[in-house]
Amino acid sequence: MTTDTPRLTEYAAVHGCSCKVGQGELSSLLAEGGLDESGDGDELLFGVGEDASAMAVTEELALVTTIDYFTPIIDDPYDFGRVAACNATSDAFVKGGVDNVNALVVLGLPREIRDAAGEILRGLVDAIEGMNGVVSGGHTVLNPWPIAGAAVTATGAQDELLTTRAVSPGDRLYLTKPLGTQPAMGALRVRDGEFTETVRNAASRPVDAVGTEALAWMTTPNRGAAEAALDAGVTAGTDVTGFGLVGHARTLATNAGVGIELSHLPVIAGTEPLSELFGYGLADGESAETSGGLLLAVPERRATALEAAFEERAVFYRCIGRATDGSGVALDPTIEPVQR
Amino acid sequence: MEEVNVTGAVCPKPVLIVRRCLQELEPGDELLVTGDYPPAERNLRRTCYKHGFGVTTGPDDSSDAFQLRIRVSEESALEEDA
Repeated sequence: MTTDTPRLTEYAAVHGCSCKVGQGELSSLLAEGGLDESGDGDELLFGVGEDASAMAVTEELALVTTIDYFTPIIDDPYDFGRVAACNATSDAFVKGGVDNVNALVVLGLPREIRDAAGEILRGLVDAIEGMNGVVSGGHTVLNPWPIAGAAVTATGAQDELLTTRAVSPGDRLYLTKPLGTQPAMGALRVRDGEFTETVRNAASRPVDAVGTEALAWMTTPNRGAAEAALDAGVTAGTDVTGFGLVGHARTLATNAGVGIELSHLPVIAGTEPLSELFGYGLADGESAETSGGLLLAVPERRATALEAAFEERAVFYRCIGRATDGSGVALDPTIEPVQR
Repeated sequence: MEEVNVTGAVCPKPVLIVRRCLQELEPGDELLVTGDYPPAERNLRRTCYKHGFGVTTGPDDSSDAFQLRIRVSEESALEEDA
């Protein structure tokens, strides 16, 4: 692409996981389609309301299925593909589907930049293969906004699957990536001179360094974190994406009938003042995350084993709160800037 | 009343544009903001709330666009960005 060509992110008004429809709107849509009541039972172990669905295919084995795609969060097409792959597989991983990963690519591009498709696909394929997965096909369309992602299947042991319902009061909550991808990438989009200095002055670190770290987190697969969770016998979790930490914590609270107290927020160093400037709500746990970490709930007695399993795989983790016998999500956090 | 239209501006530009406008206004002034996508509205409302600006829905709020009426008061404050 020449320098005159609009950047990839300029083709969409919303970026990465922030293009998800809101939680309230999604609930109404599910009700309209008759999908608001659980269809679980028989072979379907779980489905609507979870990050992925799981179906029993043998006596022991479950087939975990999910689809996820979104608009560009970054201008480099190869990196966009890598982020899209990590984000799409995350929903399968967090439910315990970590083996036999098979991805069908979903790709859409405006006519004038369809040359970027090859690089996006290469990024997707490299990332999936890096997770010992395979890309076995896909579907590509012309579309006004660029979109990329995948339909993913994977297998897991039925009796080891994680759900959002299995949280109990007293459980500890762990997060496996720091927050702040949205302000980090938002700062990179302000490049036209008019507000560049405003952003630079507000930032506590060079915005390129913050962006590079955010990209490194977004392209970190959640497979290692999921394997650690399975090793430690964790049965409850979700991943943190477009609804932000509080939104996804609320899903756990609602589905499990517990309260969630969030007391600690690890954030990518430099993202908090950017979030404040952009009105993103990072310090309130409201900022959308793209390809964020896993939010896992674990009984106190298994916490040490989980931490050991994270460390064995060099997976980032922080204990960020706990489940209570109340309801809803309460937030009174310390904020910890994290630098890779 | 001052007016600004952030329709078509890609995030995070709408908030940056509105912040700049608000910094030029005096207590008692109002700013009418028109825009076209929901995340910008949420980010604007959050910014106003955090910094003590009054904010209400404007007269032309519709399903395809949003309109916010922002009031500057003695209590509201935005530090100079640059």
